[in-house]
Amino acid sequence: MIHKLDPNSKIIYIFVANIAPALIGARMATASFILISIVILTIGKVLHKTAPMLEFSGLILLTVAIIQGIFHQGNTTVAFALGSVVFYKEGLMFALGIALNVINILMSFSILVLTTKPSDMVETFVHMGLSPRLGYVMSSVFQIIPQMTKTMATITDAQRSRGMETEGKLKTRIKAFFPLISPVVMNSLISTKERAIALEVRGFGSKQKKTFLNDLQKTRYDDIFRFVLILILILSIFWRVLIWLK
Amino acid sequence: MTRIEVQEMHFSYTEQEPILKGINITLDERSTAIIGQNGAGKTTFVKLLKGLLRPMQGKILFDGKDIACMTVAQIAKHIGLVFQNPNDQIFKNNILDEVMFGPINIGMDEQEAKRHSQNALAMVGLSDCEDKNPYDMGLSERKLIAIASVLAMDTDVVIFDEPTIAQDYRGIEKIKKIIRTLKAEGKMVLTITHDMDFVADCFERTIVFAKGKILLDGQTDKVFSKKEELSQAYLEPPHVTQLCNSLGYDKVFLRVEDFVSYVKSKGIENK
Repeated sequence: MIHKLDPNSKIIYIFVANIAPALIGARMATASFILISIVILTIGKVLHKTAPMLEFSGLILLTVAIIQGIFHQGNTTVAFALGSVVFYKEGLMFALGIALNVINILMSFSILVLTTKPSDMVETFVHMGLSPRLGYVMSSVFQIIPQMTKTMATITDAQRSRGMETEGKLKTRIKAFFPLISPVVMNSLISTKERAIALEVRGFGSKQKKTFLNDLQKTRYDDIFRFVLILILILSIFWRVLIWLK
Repeated sequence: MTRIEVQEMHFSYTEQEPILKGINITLDERSTAIIGQNGAGKTTFVKLLKGLLRPMQGKILFDGKDIACMTVAQIAKHIGLVFQNPNDQIFKNNILDEVMFGPINIGMDEQEAKRHSQNALAMVGLSDCEDKNPYDMGLSERKLIAIASVLAMDTDVVIFDEPTIAQDYRGIEKIKKIIRTLKAEGKMVLTITHDMDFVADCFERTIVFAKGKILLDGQTDKVFSKKEELSQAYLEPPHVTQLCNSLGYDKVFLRVEDFVSYVKSKGIENK
């Protein structure tokens, strides 16, 4: 269901999820958006795919917590001490704020990235006004990588058939480098040229205004989703204004 | 004499989709064509013979020795395989060096490798452009370079994967000549192809693959006389065979010359 949402709605979600907590100015707000993101990712059955990202950023956030906990400028209240190393409450809270923000950004972007086909995402960007040329460059990256992996496998097979060892000692591997990489590079150059001609033949460089093969499909869920998001945004602006007026 | 025995061989890339389902066959010195629809498992079969893929079940014996205990590089000394696309292997900027790469890899010294390479280039008719850059040549010449680079390794078995693609009449005639020469040298020649006229002209034995199994195997004229099985495998006999069939001849003709001489001796009306 999440996969069917219009990528635009997901982009709006990213925007609101990061602006609203800043407007409200409470950690609870950030935490609730993280929770919402987790719920959405679970519905989309892609929550487990965020694990590697979280592990990596978790490591960095841990060092942030340690350094801020010990050295933050406004440190006065002692939280706890490990031997002679003293951790302060202010620094830890500051680190918590950073951690929440980072995780919030990661989670909200994950919804867009993990539940949208790359080609759909690029098409949405083009709909939003990105130049079709740049859009093509972006989407071709997604096609070229698997294609190159496949060529690489064939080339390895062809050279191994000619008695070349590709496994074993470092020296053997270094020796195998040129026979493997040169055909890959040559093939890529040739196919790039052919691709360019094929695109040009089909009017890629035409100055006419382009139409789209697929219309953006907005469902009822999109409307509800967007309405709720805009409502949250307006409420948080209201909240901010109230605080100022006090 | 070279023999390859394949016993009860199974292979699949993914668990759901078996590609080869129990292949039993003995390949001998007869020149052999492997034909069959796209996706029938022909290329997979020769990659297994080459050790590039390993069977899930079953054995491949090369002269009685199981190839499971040989590395690809060791197998390369005995079995040569010419890939479909020459661009997947060419990396030197001089044809002779390119052809010498294989022989040197399998342990020939410089001089021996050079001698074999020059012979191979002579065989494909490219002796006079040893020093040219392979990338300056057209696709059909580059295919010949790829063939030469395998011939120069002087293997007992030579396997071609679609050698006639991108070749004009002259190129095909050249390849036919190469195959006959190899055969005369006592080498085992296997070829995957879709070109039935080429099969009829050049190969003593034909193996038909269909849906991961061997559907037909035998002398080429016998195989081409089995119309029903062939259509089952979505294959057509050579043109002249089809023509004689439509004319109602019982005898199977594989080559135009055979048919012409038959008609000349017996007269057109006399079936």
